[in-house]
Amino acid sequence: MREYAVLGAFLLVGIVLPAAVVIGGWLLGPKRANPVKNSTYECGLETVGETWIQFKVQYYVYALIFVIFDIEVVYLYPWAVAYNRLGLFALVEALIFAGILVAGLFYAWRKGALAWF
Amino acid sequence: MTLEQGIFILASLLMLGSALAMVTARSMFVAALWMIGTFAGVAVLFILLNAGFLGIVQILIYIGAIAVLILFAIMLTPDVMGLKPGPRYTGQWPLAAVMASTLAAVIVLLLVRAGNDWHIADAAPNVTDFAVQLGEAFMTTYLLPFEVASGVLLVALIGALVIVRDE
Amino acid sequence: MQINWADTSFLLAPEILLTVGALIVLVLDLLIEDDTSPVLPGFTLLALVSAFGAAAAHLVTGVDDVALFMFAADPLTHFFRLLGIGTALLVLLVSVNYVQARSKHTGEFYSLLLWVTLAVVLVAGAHDLILLYLAFEFLSITSYVLVGWLRDDARSNEGAMKYLLFGAISSALMLYGMSLLYGATGTTRLTEIAAFFTIPETQITGLYSIVVPALVFLLAGIGFKISLVPFHQWAPDAYEGAPTPVAAFLSVGSKSAGFAVLARVLLEAMPAFQEHWTSLLVVLSILTMTLGNLVALRQTNMKRLLAYSSIAQAGYILMGLAAYSAGATFPADGLSGVLIYLVAYLFTNVGVFIGAVIFEQATGSVAISDYAGLIRRSPWLAFTFVVFFLSLAGLPPTAGFVGKLAVFYATVAKGLYFLAIIGVLNSVVSVYYYFNVIRQMFFMPAPEGAERVRMPASMGLALAISFVGTLLIGFYPEPFLNLANMSRDFISALPLL
Repeated sequence: MREYAVLGAFLLVGIVLPAAVVIGGWLLGPKRANPVKNSTYECGLETVGETWIQFKVQYYVYALIFVIFDIEVVYLYPWAVAYNRLGLFALVEALIFAGILVAGLFYAWRKGALAWF
Repeated sequence: MTLEQGIFILASLLMLGSALAMVTARSMFVAALWMIGTFAGVAVLFILLNAGFLGIVQILIYIGAIAVLILFAIMLTPDVMGLKPGPRYTGQWPLAAVMASTLAAVIVLLLVRAGNDWHIADAAPNVTDFAVQLGEAFMTTYLLPFEVASGVLLVALIGALVIVRDE
Repeated sequence: MQINWADTSFLLAPEILLTVGALIVLVLDLLIEDDTSPVLPGFTLLALVSAFGAAAAHLVTGVDDVALFMFAADPLTHFFRLLGIGTALLVLLVSVNYVQARSKHTGEFYSLLLWVTLAVVLVAGAHDLILLYLAFEFLSITSYVLVGWLRDDARSNEGAMKYLLFGAISSALMLYGMSLLYGATGTTRLTEIAAFFTIPETQITGLYSIVVPALVFLLAGIGFKISLVPFHQWAPDAYEGAPTPVAAFLSVGSKSAGFAVLARVLLEAMPAFQEHWTSLLVVLSILTMTLGNLVALRQTNMKRLLAYSSIAQAGYILMGLAAYSAGATFPADGLSGVLIYLVAYLFTNVGVFIGAVIFEQATGSVAISDYAGLIRRSPWLAFTFVVFFLSLAGLPPTAGFVGKLAVFYATVAKGLYFLAIIGVLNSVVSVYYYFNVIRQMFFMPAPEGAERVRMPASMGLALAISFVGTLLIGFYPEPFLNLANMSRDFISALPLL
């Protein structure tokens, strides 16, 4: 648990510091509103149409493939850190694991799922 | 109350509150964001259980990947802004509430009845070694499930591409 | 811990062959441009036949060991391997023309068929809650994809969606059950759970009280796969929407995997609680067969009729487990009745689905009223349908009769007379709707200008195999009874690892 004290402290600083900056700015800064200041972007272009648009299904396919290989990496990480303690067979075992998923990557690639257009 | 207990209570409140907000949210998008709160609470619980690796995995996979995937899926729907939200509850909510409370009551009752008889795992392994021990377990005792997991992932990939992809 | 690789790959030979086959088919599909190429089904067939051969060799040579500590390569596993791979073989034969006519993704279909078969055999041999859950999810995910295969067909999408939603809930419940068991015993291995509960109840009273809730949760998860009432609601929609060969696989392959798990969990992990689970199974069995049969009476769609009929059949098979008695001689032990019934059910139910595929392929219809006058349009098809329906109804001289006899025998031997009477009454009800279809085929006039029903050679072969199997078990059951007798040994006979 003690190892996470640093993480906890970091989290605390991460929450407190931005909050302090925002609140401090609100307390100390002068408040003189005018139309230009109140516009969404003081410099830059106004948005056209809705800000939320319907996504292309292609994003979803990418996200799916990402999730699958993300999980693969998580599975391989413990194997990698234990590698020195394990023998040659562990390498073979991990290669089988990765090989099955490489077949999947090859499949996704050949089916054109990785192409944008 | 020790520090651990305090953190546990905070994390549990975060999980339960987010879960409640999620199921009662009108907008799908907001519901998905609340779900991230629940995931974060679970990560804290893993860390409290000395399974720090799983806590990090929880953040990496569930918040970093699954939640993003779900948000993408919601953004694929025509009403991404949630301008036309559906009803907050369907007519079946009393039934669902009864079922959920019964389940909760049964589990609480069991926890109480079994009392101190529950199997308590041996002192958790040294945290820094956790991933190493997990790696060794994957390669020996849990080798078969480990390899099966890659098959599950591959099937999910094939299925996703066959069903989702535009022709 | 040192793993003996030669032994391990020998023990897991069927699984390894299926995995390699599935990968090869997946890659071949990418290299071959032509979706109708015979190479793809050819390789699938090769993988299935070789895996079948390996499993049969294990059974015959009496291999009985634990591989990698989580998978039991015991006779019960060999039996379910043969059953699962056999189902896949028959399903493959009817799938070729069916999927070629409906989808461009034929290669993925064959590959997924091999993966789903692998999942069935893994489920059947899983000897540890972790592998069991993973294999169960493997089976479920592959099944969802296969049900939703016809992606441009709204019914197929609906079926897959309902299957997925019900599946997610029931697998969550199953996990609750597993975590309760783990929390109480500190182990996930089935035989060790049983060993834990040899501690007298007076010492750990509180933990004994979790067993019944854990059982109920586990039964929810497993009952979903077997489509036991009240976890059956997905079945009619999934069967109706799924490609018909996939429905055949779900109703036999996936269901027998569920029975394998149920047998293992109850007999290996919870033999001490037989009183509890027997009464649960009796109730579930009565509910399942009664509801399945009563709703089947009203069906007008062939696939929905078969869905409800297979729900009812699950109720009969469950009688065998309810009637399990450890020391009893064959076939009064109940488990062997389940095994015989499952073999009979494989040929019969896959057979009747094959008939439905052939009819659907020729006419594009799944309405029972369109079967009118089938006797004139294809006498052979109509005749095989009669044999399959006789077998489903449990009438002699068919496989279904032998299966039902074995299950009822065990039920009476155990003294569960009430269950046996309900079973007989249900069989009588089922005769009504099975014969209603036969009446359509034989006594209703065919529509004007109806053509002969033609069947492609591979479908005809699959139909012939199921037909011969159904009659063979009916006339000459000895080898199949021996098979069941050989296969009823499971791992708990072995020392704990």
